[in-house]
Amino acid sequence: MEPSIHLAPRAEDNGYAVMVAQLLRQGLDERPEKKATVAKMHGRVTLVVTDLGLTVSLVFDGGRVTVHDGFAGIPDVTVRAPAEWHTKMSLVELEPRFGLPDPRGPVAKEVFEASKRGEIQMHGMWASLPLVFRMTKVLSVA
Amino acid sequence: MAHSFPSEPWTAAFAEAVNANEVYRKHGAPWTYGAVAMVCSADPSMGLDEDVGMILDVEKGECRGAKLVKGMDAVMDTPFVIVAPYARWKQVIRGEIDPIKAMMEGKLKMTKGHLPTMLRFVESSRALVTSATAVPTTFLDE
Repeated sequence: MEPSIHLAPRAEDNGYAVMVAQLLRQGLDERPEKKATVAKMHGRVTLVVTDLGLTVSLVFDGGRVTVHDGFAGIPDVTVRAPAEWHTKMSLVELEPRFGLPDPRGPVAKEVFEASKRGEIQMHGMWASLPLVFRMTKVLSVA
Repeated sequence: MAHSFPSEPWTAAFAEAVNANEVYRKHGAPWTYGAVAMVCSADPSMGLDEDVGMILDVEKGECRGAKLVKGMDAVMDTPFVIVAPYARWKQVIRGEIDPIKAMMEGKLKMTKGHLPTMLRFVESSRALVTSATAVPTTFLDE
């Protein structure tokens, strides 16, 4: 099934929601191999931009992705970080074989260090590791 | 000497400011994705009867030229188009808002362009826009 990206009602008023939807659409167009990854994704991920007071939720339902303004149900994973780190997370390097985050990449190292300092907080990550890795893959522009 | 924003002298001064910006020169060096237009939406209360755009011909960390244009049709062929009302551009020029955060908040809208590419060049994109802070500016509402 060809993945489809949708904005939920009222999400068009949230600039970050619009950006995330655009990033997903253009990222899938640019790298069609990511479409198979999106098709395998099920779950809810909420992104909280702490310094801007913005919250965006992505609901993955086997190829259909809906981007919401605010929370959309109980998230499996919540990422809380300032805007700077949300932008940087999209630059995390992926290792070429499986498309997993490459721990040797300079940006991946920066993100890891920021997580250790508590500047990036990921709730639910360990229980939903495949979702986190796939999310990183589909949102990465590196 | 201060220039009125937007105007042809301001646009020329902006191009000079971009070329004087070492951060832009460094981070924009690999940029080969075409011109960027910054468009100020029409606002008759400010004397702007139609949209006014500044097209920056940027390539490899250098601004090769800049021109002032009127109407959205004039930026149709520009690969990247960022649109905002006058008040927002004023905040950008004064250095009061970060352009990337402003995009996340929907204060600046990228109406045309490849977001993954822009994010790959997030530092040069920021430096390009914030070069405007170096231009001595007078505003229409002051």
